[in-house]
Amino acid sequence: MPDVAVLRQDQKGLFWKALLLPAALILLWAALDLAGFVNRQLFVAPGQVVVALFEGFSDGSLPGATLATLFRALAGWAIGVTFGLVAGVLLGFSGIARGLFDPTVTSLRQIALFAWIPLLSAWLGNGEAMKITLIALGAFFPMALGAQAGCVNVPLAWREVGTVLELSRLKQLKVIILPAALPSILAGLELSLNVAWLGTFGAEYLIGTGYINGMGDGLGAYLAAAREYAQMDRVLLGILFLGIIGVSLDRLVIGMSRRAVSWQKH
Amino acid sequence: MAEALTLLPPAAAAFGTVKLSNVSKTFRVSGKSVHALDSVSLSIDPGEFLSIIGPSGCGKSTILRFLAGLDRPDEGEILVDGKAIGGPGLQRGIVFQDHRLLPWLNVERNIGLALHALPGSPDEKAARVSELIALVGLRGFEKALPHQLSGGMSQRAAIARGLAPRPPLLLLDEPLGALDSLTRARLQEELLDIWRGERITVVMVTHDVEEAVFLSDRIVVMEPRPGRVRSILSIGSERPRRRSAPDFVAARREIDELLNHRT
Repeated sequence: MPDVAVLRQDQKGLFWKALLLPAALILLWAALDLAGFVNRQLFVAPGQVVVALFEGFSDGSLPGATLATLFRALAGWAIGVTFGLVAGVLLGFSGIARGLFDPTVTSLRQIALFAWIPLLSAWLGNGEAMKITLIALGAFFPMALGAQAGCVNVPLAWREVGTVLELSRLKQLKVIILPAALPSILAGLELSLNVAWLGTFGAEYLIGTGYINGMGDGLGAYLAAAREYAQMDRVLLGILFLGIIGVSLDRLVIGMSRRAVSWQKH
Repeated sequence: MAEALTLLPPAAAAFGTVKLSNVSKTFRVSGKSVHALDSVSLSIDPGEFLSIIGPSGCGKSTILRFLAGLDRPDEGEILVDGKAIGGPGLQRGIVFQDHRLLPWLNVERNIGLALHALPGSPDEKAARVSELIALVGLRGFEKALPHQLSGGMSQRAAIARGLAPRPPLLLLDEPLGALDSLTRARLQEELLDIWRGERITVVMVTHDVEEAVFLSDRIVVMEPRPGRVRSILSIGSERPRRRSAPDFVAARREIDELLNHRT
């Protein structure tokens, strides 16, 4: 128990330390702006970003874009993670499945996520189906890899317990393989969230913004529009929101992961 | 295999006969072949407490893994109650040196896992688990996770798991090797009580001469490279044995000499 208290205190300290650098940069920015060193074409005053924030909330454009991005990311992530988990566990648990599918999955994983855009847009158009498929594809591979590695690397000592106790294959999977693989599965879950979040922004920014299918929605489209009209305050705001929500999602998943593997000695 | 076992105590100690005939095994370790066992023959009587002792590399753990069904010999035959061993199974309980409790399951569920493949209602199985927890002195720790237990307590839980399906043959692979000497001495006495109470055949691998003399009916002394039986000693004295008794000390010395002065 004392360990936990110490850990908490440290983390609290870390939180405030982590805020030091951003705060210093904002102060520097404000100081440079006040001193008149800033090119107004490329940079705006900190105060103007705050004004744009209030405007964005009062006309609903900013929360709307944020929610659209969040739901899109979570939907794509959930789909990708579900398929990735099933595929990874299958590849990790069954030698036959590994022999049949592992070379293909490993090859497909080498393809950069945005390289799928031409193919997917030809098949699915530039709408929601295409964006979510792209995000899901991004989330699929890290999840599959994490689950597969976790299942393959279960120590022989624990596997032998399963055979000595005459557990069925299914029971072994449930009681031994999956719990033992859980840390690796959760690492895959975290990584796939990162990729899904990046993929969401990419999909929104690159697909269906302005040129082909009219303006899309989400923070990516918000940023694309702000750039189009040279609104640096909104550009900065969009980046800020992407960062803050990305970090929050990441923390949330890591926090839940820690709880799920509480049997591990920390 | 599991069908033959029940949650009820066996009627008599008529099972657990083990016969090894001319068992040999060669491992390949990084390109070189290591002759682990060379034509080992041994027979173990039902209800006997037999220890196998010897320096590392003498193949004592290999024999135990054969009996557990986790490995197979290259040559020779191993029969348990007249039947060849097909693979790992509940007929032969095993307790490993590194307790091998599953860290995500509490004590109760770790022990209960050994009953999963057996017939019987959940209530009957729960009753058996709580009986075992009482037997190994872990009352009050039913819900504890393995990392919350001491080494001795973990090993007690592992012994309970090995005993759970009432195997006629219990295999112990240096079960107390990782414990401090006080805990080890106490668990040796508990092991003796359990062996007498359950009336099972026990085969224990150990590197502790005193432990072997304290517990065993017979002690198989092995020698390495290649692993062979050097000598088999019977310990006839009444239990509980006093570690300071003259015949105890004499048996210890005899085994020490067999282990140290190789010809």
